[in-house]
Amino acid sequence: MPIDLKCYATLAPLTPDNASAFPLKDGETVRALAERLTIPVDEIKIVFVNGQAAELDRVLADGDRIGLFPPVGGG
Amino acid sequence: MAVTPIAPDAPDAGVDAGFAAGLDVAQAAAQAGALNAALAAALTTASRELPYPDGRPGRFLDAGAVTELAQRFGLAPRRVEIAALAAAICPLRYARNLRAFTLAEQARLLGSKAALIGLGGLGGGLLENLVRAGVGVIHAADGDVFEETNLNRQLLSRLDALGRPKAALAAERAAAVNPSVEFVATAAFLDRAGMETLLTDAQVAVDALGGLKDRGALVAAAAGLGLPLVTGAVAGYTAIVATVLPGAPSPADLFGGGGTGPAAEDVLGCPSPAVMAVAALQAAEVIRLLAGRPPALAGKALLIDLETMRFDTVAL
Repeated sequence: MPIDLKCYATLAPLTPDNASAFPLKDGETVRALAERLTIPVDEIKIVFVNGQAAELDRVLADGDRIGLFPPVGGG
Repeated sequence: MAVTPIAPDAPDAGVDAGFAAGLDVAQAAAQAGALNAALAAALTTASRELPYPDGRPGRFLDAGAVTELAQRFGLAPRRVEIAALAAAICPLRYARNLRAFTLAEQARLLGSKAALIGLGGLGGGLLENLVRAGVGVIHAADGDVFEETNLNRQLLSRLDALGRPKAALAAERAAAVNPSVEFVATAAFLDRAGMETLLTDAQVAVDALGGLKDRGALVAAAAGLGLPLVTGAVAGYTAIVATVLPGAPSPADLFGGGGTGPAAEDVLGCPSPAVMAVAALQAAEVIRLLAGRPPALAGKALLIDLETMRFDTVAL
């Protein structure tokens, strides 16, 4: 079962076409996934997996729902 | 982490007035009692019976009567409204809040204080919501003046007000919409010490800052005073709203000074629907806290994408 990946704000243009059913590699972490998609890891400030904040080293599992959020400060 | 309890200040201003006149405690109490009895009678006379839209009987006091009674009894208008609510008389201006707030919660809002940092896009929308809700005291600060690039989103900005202080326009708006709200705006950018002064005696700190630069200072100021902080930020159609209890992680902490390149909002902009939506969501949380209810977003962040209309609530 693939993952569901959501990239916010400036990261959105790097979202893969099949983000809602993106195939995961075995043992892939958030960091490895971001690097595979050429998403700059330094720009990721909030990672969430299944509604909980997570670290970049979190190992992902099939069916995970992932969000990558950059710094946002406008008002 | 406990939220600071919210205690609306005493509605019987007559006692304070008695002390000011040099009366002793017994005399002051007697005078306050007489004042309260006279006010209660005047409230009954000045109000009228009407049904609520759902058919329940109600008793209402219009804005003209609030002003008149405030002058006659030498009370702040919000004190008249608090006294009315205590007598189950609803100021007409709050009638359509219906069951969203009870009369007791409405009185509690009128007895509360919010501190609002920033009167731009988020701040203008927040002010509009808090003033209409009847938050009794709002102290706000913004050192900026309006410019033409504010017109796409900032509710308080107007073509005929370019170059004028945001604080001045905010004061005009608050007075025009709800003179029962005691609104004080400082036309200055505040450092942490200034923020702490503004936050003194407030029950909620509200982050309506633009950019990430000053947000850490506000998180620290609110935490130092033991206050919950309701924060929000926008970049394009992406937005975040969170409630930060003292010592808990905040989006500003997680964002640090920002990323390596230009700020997301400087790339994607701040379009009106995103700014207004965030201001409304923050206002709902602020009003909930001031009404004495628990926060909905404590320890969480609401992550919003208006492009796909996706909303995720995430535990931080």
